[in-house]
Order: sequence, then C-alpha cells, then structure tokens
Amino acid sequence: MRSNIVIMAIIAVFFYLCSAVYTVWHMATYEGTIEWVGTLGLGLTGALATLIGFYLVLVYRGQAGEFAADRLDGELDDDDPEMGHFAPWSWWPLGVGAAMALIFLSFTGPTFLIPIGGALLLIMMVGWVYEHYRGNFSR
Amino acid sequence: MIRRPNTVAVGTIVWLGSEVMFFAGLFAIYFTLRAMSGDLFASEAEKLNVLFATINTLILLTSSFTAQAGANAAEHHQARRTGGMLQFSKWGMIEWFFLTYAMGATFVTLQVFEYIELIQHGVTLSSNSYGSAFYLTTGFHGLHVAGGLFAFLFVIGRAYAVKRFSRKEATSAHVISYYWHFVDVVWIGLYLVIYWLK
Repeated sequence: MRSNIVIMAIIAVFFYLCSAVYTVWHMATYEGTIEWVGTLGLGLTGALATLIGFYLVLVYRGQAGEFAADRLDGELDDDDPEMGHFAPWSWWPLGVGAAMALIFLSFTGPTFLIPIGGALLLIMMVGWVYEHYRGNFSR
Repeated sequence: MIRRPNTVAVGTIVWLGSEVMFFAGLFAIYFTLRAMSGDLFASEAEKLNVLFATINTLILLTSSFTAQAGANAAEHHQARRTGGMLQFSKWGMIEWFFLTYAMGATFVTLQVFEYIELIQHGVTLSSNSYGSAFYLTTGFHGLHVAGGLFAFLFVIGRAYAVKRFSRKEATSAHVISYYWHFVDVVWIGLYLVIYWLK
C-alpha cells in the first residue's frame, strides 16, 4: 500500500506544480491575468489525488500488516481475500438506467415524462437498495 | 489477519473524487464568467441576502456533525437509541440520521425561498451570465443535497429492515456520511466564493 500512497502523492504534487506553472505562465504571457479554468482544473486534479491518497493513508494505518502484493516473498495464493458481498445477478440497475433515460429524454421536450420517470426511478432505487433485505435474496 | 479496505468505502471515495472534478467544472464556469464580466457580477451579487445564506450554511454545517454522530453510532452497531428521546448521548444511528435529514431538508427549503427572493429581484437562470453561474453552481449543489436526503432515508430504512444491525448496514451508514461531508465541504467552497468574495 506504501507504493500506492507514494504514487498518489507524486500525482498530487505534479498537478499542484502544473497549476502553479500554468497560472504564472499565463500571467506572464497575458498581462497578469489569471486563466481560471486551467488553474482550477489542474489544482483540483491535485485535490482529487490528495483525497484518494489521504484515504489510502488512513486505510494503511488500520491495516495491521502488509499485503502479499507489497511483499517481495509474496505468492499469488497469499492474496485470496474475502472481497465482500456481491449480487449474483440483478435487474434493478437496468431499471434505474431505463428510468434515468426516460428523465433525460423528457428534457428534449416531452416534460410530462418527468414525473413518470421520477416515479419509476424511485421504485427501481428502492428495489435495488432493498434487494437483499426482502424476498428472494433476503438473509 | 491483514485488514483490507472495505470495497464499498473505497468505491465511494473514488466516486467522490470524480464528484470533485464535476464541481471543479462548475467553479471554473463561475470564475470564467466573472473574469469576463466583473462589473455585472459585482452589481448582481449586491442582491444576495448574505445573512440568510450564512444561517443556511450554519444549518448544513451542523448537519455534518450530526451525520458523523450517526456514523459513530453505526460503528458501534447501535441502530436505535438506548435512552429517552432527549438523551442525545444515548441516541442511535436512526435518531441522528433523522435529525440530519431534517437539517438537510431545511437547507434545501430555505434555498428555495432564497431563489424566490432573487427571482423577484430579477436574477434568473436566463437573465445574464451571473444568474446562469449562480443557479448552475448552487442548483447542482442543491440537487446533491436532495439526493443525499433520499440516501439517508434508504440507510435508515435498511436499519429498520434488519433484525440485527450488521457490518453491511454500518458500511452504508459510513459511506452516506462520507458523501454528506463532501457535499458540506463543496458548499463551504461555494459559500466563500459566491457570498464572501462576491
């Protein structure tokens, strides 16, 4: 995990530097005006890497040991973790997508579709969130 | 036993990273338009009700703390309160999240009233570039708050749906608190840029 954190830190510093260089370069070329799109875009790309890197630092602290992938004597078999709970299959995400498509379609003109799409979206979201709480898959 | 990061939590953080970039685009729109028509922005920003927005900001800011209190209760697998209704120290996740929900809903409602006041002063989405920038940035933030409110209801519903509050329910409580803190931080940025820098 150490290398992941270092890579994120390098990316963060790189984009902060890019943002600074971009700002100064633009100011030098265009009479001291700041071009905000690039300055903010590059700066916040740095923030993006900082956010993920900082999270990895917290994860690494609570990890209590190294992953097999981070050890020189690590074997593939050592890294066979419990990956978490995943649905075997689910129709709900497809329904969410269809409802969203209906809502976006309504923006092109047929605005009466908005409440219909919204109601469908609500049904599909409730179905998805509670899929493993009621019915076929309930624990 | 090496503890691995929770895949749901990691996925949420990566998605929040992409949300940062979405709001970066909105901030860039605001700053670009302001750089192009500074006088217009200065005169239009005079119409803002800064005191009203400050109170609203404090409500959202406080709701981040109540959301964290709920997430901490979920960490101890305490879904419901163990004491009386007014014994805050014994509140469970459900009570804290309902309070957070109420505060978030208040924020959105007050924002609607703020919009009404501004529209009466002639600031609309299509009035000029200031109106467009103002409503795009605060509007997309408001949509995120409204979406978060639905998510809080889903998480509260999950706590009601199970007999035993497990790791999985605690995880959804944690990721919604991450999201809520993110929305809060974005608002602090928007508040400073729109209401203080003007």
